[in-house]
Formats: sequence, C-alpha cells, structure tokens
Amino acid sequence: MGNWACTEGAIAAGCNFVAGYPITPASEIANLLAARLPKVDGTFLQTEDEISAICSAIGASWAGCKAMTVTSGPGISLMQENIGFAVATETPLVIVDVQRFGPSTGVPSVGLAGDIVQVARGSHGDYQIIALCPESPQEMFDLMIRAFNLAEKYRVPVFLMADGFMGHMREQIVIPKKDQIKLKYRKIAEPAKTVLERQDFLDVDVAPMPVFGRRLKAHVTSSCHDEHGMRNLTDPEVMHRYAMHPIEKILSHRDDIVQVQDDCEDKTIALVSCGTVSRSAGAAAKMAQREGLNVGTLRLLTCWPFPDKEIRAVAERVNHMLVLENNTGQLYPYIKAEAAHACRVSFLGPQTLGQIHDPRYILGRIKEIIQ
Amino acid sequence: MTATAHPLRQKYTRSHIKRTTTCPGCGIGTVSQAILRAIDELQLDIDDFIFVSGIGCSAWIPSPFYNADTLHTTHGRPVAFATGVKLGLPDKHVMVVSGDGDLTAIGGNHLIHAARRNINLTVVLVNNGIYGMTGGQTAPTTPRGIKTVTSPYGAMEHDFDISPMIVAAGASYVARWTTNHPRQMTRSIKKGIQKKGFALLEAVSQCPVQYGRASKLGGAVDMLKHYKENSIRINKAREMDEAELQGKIIVGEFIDREKAELSEQWVQLRCEMMEDR
Amino acid sequence: MSKVTIFSQACKGVDDCGICAYVCPEQLFEACREMNESGYYPPEIKDPDKCTGCLNCMICCPDYAIVVEKDENRPVDKQGAHDAAK
Repeated sequence: MGNWACTEGAIAAGCNFVAGYPITPASEIANLLAARLPKVDGTFLQTEDEISAICSAIGASWAGCKAMTVTSGPGISLMQENIGFAVATETPLVIVDVQRFGPSTGVPSVGLAGDIVQVARGSHGDYQIIALCPESPQEMFDLMIRAFNLAEKYRVPVFLMADGFMGHMREQIVIPKKDQIKLKYRKIAEPAKTVLERQDFLDVDVAPMPVFGRRLKAHVTSSCHDEHGMRNLTDPEVMHRYAMHPIEKILSHRDDIVQVQDDCEDKTIALVSCGTVSRSAGAAAKMAQREGLNVGTLRLLTCWPFPDKEIRAVAERVNHMLVLENNTGQLYPYIKAEAAHACRVSFLGPQTLGQIHDPRYILGRIKEIIQ
Repeated sequence: MTATAHPLRQKYTRSHIKRTTTCPGCGIGTVSQAILRAIDELQLDIDDFIFVSGIGCSAWIPSPFYNADTLHTTHGRPVAFATGVKLGLPDKHVMVVSGDGDLTAIGGNHLIHAARRNINLTVVLVNNGIYGMTGGQTAPTTPRGIKTVTSPYGAMEHDFDISPMIVAAGASYVARWTTNHPRQMTRSIKKGIQKKGFALLEAVSQCPVQYGRASKLGGAVDMLKHYKENSIRINKAREMDEAELQGKIIVGEFIDREKAELSEQWVQLRCEMMEDR
Repeated sequence: MSKVTIFSQACKGVDDCGICAYVCPEQLFEACREMNESGYYPPEIKDPDKCTGCLNCMICCPDYAIVVEKDENRPVDKQGAHDAAK
C-alpha cells in the first residue's frame, strides 16, 4: 500500500523523529511509524494537534534529528504559519501530505490534488519550498528518500504530495539494499567563540547549520535576521537578503531539484500532469497512440520549484498542452503562463471531482482538440 | 578593583548585546537574573541548555541575550518546539521562557499537554497580567473589571489561576513567586531544572507601563509593594476561605511529585527495541 | 564594607524604575543630578560605608546595572528586609 511504502521510504532515509496527529487518509503512515521507529533508534510523538506536530518536528530537526510530519489538507492548513517558520529558519524537514477532497472536512478518504498551491503559497510572504509528486507506491518509497536528501541538502521543508488514492493503492515495490541507498545529512556549523564569527543562515549555497547541543550557541529566530541569525528590523539590506536568499537558495539550484519525465519527443499534443492523474494520462496517451494520434506525456515529478524551463521546452515543440489535474486547475495557471506564448494550453479536470480521470474521457477531449 | 560588569551578565550573556530591551522598572529583568543565578548556583554549563521562547516581552529573556542555544519561535508554540528539542536531545536541559499570553492563550493547549505528558521541560512563565508588547490588550490573566485597550468598559471575563491548572494537568513540579521574591524564585527554578518531569515556575512580574497604568496600581515600586502586601504563602492560604483570598497572590510550591517522564521512557524504549534486534 | 558599583549607562533611572531604592534595607540610593546617555537619572550612594552587602539591589535590578562586592568580614543580612516571606 502507498502509505506503507512511504513509511519504509522514511525509515530507509534515516528518519528518526516523527510527530503526527491522526487524520484520514494519512493515519496509516503514523501508525506504522509508531511501531517501526523505536526499532531504528527513532522517536514517535502523537501530538495534541497538527500545529504541535510541525513545531515539535522543527524542534527535533534543530536537535539534529531527520524529522518528519505527516498529515492531509486540513492539517497543512493548520501548519501554515510554522511552515513559514521552517523556511525562515532554514530547517530541514519533510512533510507528507496525503491530500483529500475538500474544501473543509469534505470527504476524508477520497483523493483530490487540493493542496498543490497551498504548500507553495499558503504561508504569508514570498518563499520557495520543494514539493515532490509520486505516481505509484514505488515512488512513494523512492521520493521519500529523495525528499529527505533534498531537505538536508537545502535546509528547507520538502513536501511529498500524495493523495488518498496513492496512499491506499496496492502495488509491489522494490526496496533496495541499505548499502545501495545514498543518504545526505546537513553540514554542521564550525565552533566559534561568538555567533558573529560564523555564518549560519542566508547563504544561497546553503550555510552550515548550527545544530543544538553542540556548544555552538546557535541563535535561531524567525524574525528578520542577518547571516549570523541576529534579529535586524532596521537595515533595508538585511530585510532584502532575509527574504531573497532563501528564495535564491532554491531557484539557483533548481536544475538539481526539478525532475520531469518528458515523453513528448516528436509529439503534437502533450498531456501534462503530476501525481495520481499521471496514471490516467499515461493510459490515455497509449490509447491515443494506438489510434495513430501523436500524443505524449509530460509528467512533473517536482511541482515546486515550478518546472518552468521544462514546460517551456515542451511548449515550444508541441501544438497543444492539455493540463490534467485532479482539481479545478491549481497548477494550470502557472503552466499556461509559461507555455501560452508557444502553444495552446487548456485544462481538463476529472469527469466528476473526486474521481480519477477516466482515460477514455481524456481521449475524448484529445479528439476534440485535434478537430 | 572595580567590577566591569554584572558577574551573571559577564558569564552567561552575549557580549555584543549592549542594552536590555525592557521598559524602566519592568520585572522581566529580575526574572532573567533569577534564571541565570539558578544555573550558576547549580554550577551547570549553560551550553547544556537550550532556551526556547515564544513571542512577547518575556520571550526576550533568553533570546538573544543568553549566550547559549536559543530558539525564538512563533507565538504560543515554544512548548511544542521544546518538546521536539527535548525528545531529540534528552540529555540536555530544555527551558521555555515566555509570557502568560503566549503560554496560556494561544499556547494553552500545548502547555496543558506538555504537563500531561510530563515531558522534562522547565517552563518559566512570566505572568504580568496583560499583553505588553502589543500595547496593553486583555490577557487570560487580566482580572475582571480592569480596563485595557481591548476591554475599555472593564474586562468581563474571569481570569486563569495558572499554577493550580497546570497541577491538575499533571505537572511534576509547580511553583509561583513574584518579582518581590527573587531568591525563592531562583530556588524554585533550581528545583525545576533538577526535576525529572514537567516543571512550571509561574513568575508574577510587574508591567508598570501597560498593566500598572490599566489597573491604576502605579509604577514598578508601587507594584512591588502590592505584591509584598498581597502575597500569601500556600500553606497559609489553605487555611483561609475564598473571601479572604480575594485579590491575593498565592505563592510557594503547589506540587512536587515523582512520576514517569516522557523523554526518559523513550530512551528506555529505544534501548530495549534495539537490543531485541 | 561592601563595594557597590553602579553602571549608570545601563540604568533606567530612579524615577522611572527605582527598584534598587525600594529594596535597599538601608535606603542608600538617591537619584543623581546628572542624566545618563538615555535620559534617565541613575542612582548614587551617598554613604557607601552603610552598605551591609545584602545583595538585594544586585539581585533585583532588571538591567544588571548594580554589582555588590561583599566584604567577607562583615556579617550579612541574607534575606534583606524586602522579601515578602510571611
């Protein structure tokens, strides 16, 4: 099951702290981790609410743990303020979002890609995070490892965008041997007599982290701060760097972060999707190709930072991009803005919101486009 | 030879910070000293501490002043962050220093659950009865009738009695003192640090600028006089009735008990599970 | 005899704060006539010989602005007159 694969991915990645609050359809991940973690020298905390979950995960990360929390849409909404805290303090953190049908309580056990924009823009201010989109239980495992590695490398919250369908989908997965899995851990700051003798933050190439408990006398605050972590609310240069450097940190390394699966070579129509919908997109493309139609797929394994280059490159090759999302169009405006100068861009949600696109439904739209 | 600086300041605070950030007469500085004196008298290494604070005047006690690991969190959440820090570093002392608004209003739920979990944190809750930093709004600790900027017709709600509430939630050690009792405060902070369990030190402190004006109690000295005249030791208070205790501040140790602590249990469990493999 | 050092520039003034003057059992603190850099009138001690070394001022000052170096030979009143212990 996808949620189980996610758990194994976390364990394989070296996760040793998980804080979570029960929420459908993510609960299995926390349940499984509660049992697995002590056996791998890890700790599990069931918190009183989702806000406490993300806060204690951030605290544990600063204590040196590879920390994670897992929730669904309503939980992400509650966590927004502290997602901003993790960004501002450059805290390595993994957040698994098993998205569900909304708005509000909605339908807990039905998947919907409802949080695509929320994870990137839900906290106040301008910032960049990383979001990975698995399309199978195997990718739930693989991308968990990638998520932890990216979090450690870039000192940033990384989201795994699963959904109710992916979480409960059952497929075989392959778990590599431990020695075949490459893991990253954050760089630790050098000791110094005063905090002003180090640079702990605001480096676009990622400053070493002054982890707690190592006599580093770290000063960590989400107030506007300089590169030493010291609060500064008066110098406009400091304000500018405080906001810009964490953004530049991600965008200047986007080639290392962004992953797409481009099967649009010599195609005239590209089906653009991420996550669960990609299963339908892939099936629809195959059906179309069997009928002699020149249709390919562009699958986004990373939806944030936004794969602008990759989308533009495909837009300049095809006549039409059909964006498929299991929502009313969250990534669509961004894709359109990037692609519309080069090709036509349109959107197709599922035939009924809360259901996965039927590949025949997609094929029907492809045929309409061709006419 | 003339002293060049206060010994606690010299030993434990960041040298590049030249000024204290509090209003004249604010009790926060007295509490700040009481904490450092406790650490000094216990002869503990301040590098074995992690200080976690929220948002508000009191949260500025350790951050950025103390020369140690300091974590300045979002409003109301220091206890939640501190729980994660403690579970990740069970051998270190984790101390939360924050105000009554931060810890009992927005952060009330986290405080109650940390006490219930009995996680080994020492929480110094500076209670000045008002939201000082934002200009004097009503707090859950503002007595009924006081006119503040958000209760201009007089506060209509009743206020929290924090210490008994946290005893009921399950804490191992709870004590309350005012800034008129700095030595007792230090003693209780020492006990809290050494306690294997959740320890709360409620430090009633004067805010002459906001609370002093709103309550018409006056300046710092007037408020300290008020604390002196209205503090009743808990043993004595137990023999008094509700009418006699009206408007009084009960000080002393509310509870001191032993019960299983969370971070220690986790160390134990991980040990057992790893052995079994 | 105890030695009292007052860091005038750190002080927030006898009129605006005045805690040291309140907690001193010998009432030794009086306002200076000169303002410090921040515009406050820090205290001064007219009769330093009368200091008993109780440390109340040093312990209570919110600005870490007073240091009392005790004379080991003189008996010290540890509690001071201003703890509200009843």
